[in-house]
Amino acid sequence: MIKYGAVMVLAVAAVFFAAGVLYAGVQPNKEMQALMDSYLAAAMKADPGFKGFSAEEGKAFFNAKRMHSANKEERGCTTCHTTNPANKGKTTVGKVIEPMAPSINKERFTDPAKVEKWFKRNCSWVLERECTPKEKGNYITYMLSI
Amino acid sequence: MKRRKTILTLLAVCLLIAGFVAGPRALADDDERGEGRERGERNERSGYKYTVPQLPAYSQECGSCHFLYLPGFLPARSWEALINGSDKHFGEDLALDAAAKTELLAFLTANAAEKSGFKWSAKILKRLGNETPTRITELAYIKKEHRKIKEPVFKRPSIKSRSNCGACHPHGSQGDFEEGAVVIPAK
Ligand code: HEC
Ligand code: HEC
Ligand code: HEC
Repeated sequence: MIKYGAVMVLAVAAVFFAAGVLYAGVQPNKEMQALMDSYLAAAMKADPGFKGFSAEEGKAFFNAKRMHSANKEERGCTTCHTTNPANKGKTTVGKVIEPMAPSINKERFTDPAKVEKWFKRNCSWVLERECTPKEKGNYITYMLSI
Repeated sequence: MKRRKTILTLLAVCLLIAGFVAGPRALADDDERGEGRERGERNERSGYKYTVPQLPAYSQECGSCHFLYLPGFLPARSWEALINGSDKHFGEDLALDAAAKTELLAFLTANAAEKSGFKWSAKILKRLGNETPTRITELAYIKKEHRKIKEPVFKRPSIKSRSNCGACHPHGSQGDFEEGAVVIPAK
């Protein structure tokens, strides 16, 4: 009887632990959810087999490096944002960038116009093209998961 | 038996607390990179006072990537060239809409070197020919003032670029570029 009780207590604790870890994620606001929905619709249109965004793929995208065709230097999101989105970063002109992770910096990923503007600027700086809706959705999913 | 139950319960409570405390902070290893620059003793303002012209759109659109350059550092025609060429801004597409361009240009030209009462504007204009510079760092006067600083100094991690005025002029954003208020970070 006592053993059973103890197991129950442990089981409940395990559920709360899992909930606590899940709670680490940040929920997007209404405007951002609408933006994510539009990325999802576009990604599904481009690939009917598309299953949904992945934080794993977002992380890989964030850490990827690419040789710039004109400047002949390796560039990636981490060039300015560092490999840890919870950290502060720095631009090439030395200005400090507040952390990207919304669990640390509440202002991140709250304004779709701002998000779209920076995607446009930074994707072209790193990739010399715009980011696809799938890449943007994965990236945000990764940031929200931190 | 009773004792074991207490231990198990305690363990469970610990797990529960750990879940909520550790979860959200799992990756929050926030170091203060770039904030802890060594300034030595001299970090005081000089006596020079200047009311820096302000516009929210200017700090929003032009202050995220670099030091917010005071409009008085360039003539009006330079600001025009910068805003009109903002889709090819030193390798960046600033993606400014027409309304933002108009607002920024009105502000920048109204406070440009020809019109501002900023101490260094007249000195800059005096040495400027009829060219249209888009870099403050390439103005003859600014080049002369920095000629003694060697190239590797600008590459120090806390400086990174000649264009990072604030790294060595800690009160530059308030308009204070006096020699007495300059500090070159050691790293
Ligand atoms: C050259 C430096 C640089 C690089 C490289 C860079 N960024 Fe950024 N990024 C910035 C700056 C500066 C900001 C604006 C910071 C601010 O507003 O505080 C920013 C902001 C953002 C934002 C807006 C977030 C918000 O809601 O505030 C997104 C999204 C973003 N970056 C995505 C990316 C992605 C994706 C990559 C890689 C493809 C990348 N960045 C690479 C400098 C960079
Ligand atoms: C997306 C990033 C970004 C934004 C936003 C941005 N700039 Fe720049 N700016 C740069 C880069 C990169 C340089 C080149 C710096 C270097 O060579 O180290 C630069 C350089 C400059 C310079 C010349 C600095 C020098 O060397 O004397 C001026 C002036 C300038 N910017 C004005 C502006 C204005 C005005 C705006 C707003 C309309 C703006 N910038 C917004 C990235 C940006
Ligand atoms: C590596 C550090 C460093 C950086 C970066 C830097 N400066 Fe300076 N600056 C100095 C030093 C040191 C002096 C003083 C030179 C002297 O008179 O001995 C100076 C002098 C000046 C002066 C003249 C002050 C006087 O004596 O009247 C002006 C104006 C000025 N800087 C503006 C700028 C601007 C604008 C930028 C950015 C575009 C900039 N500086 C970037 C270090 C720096």
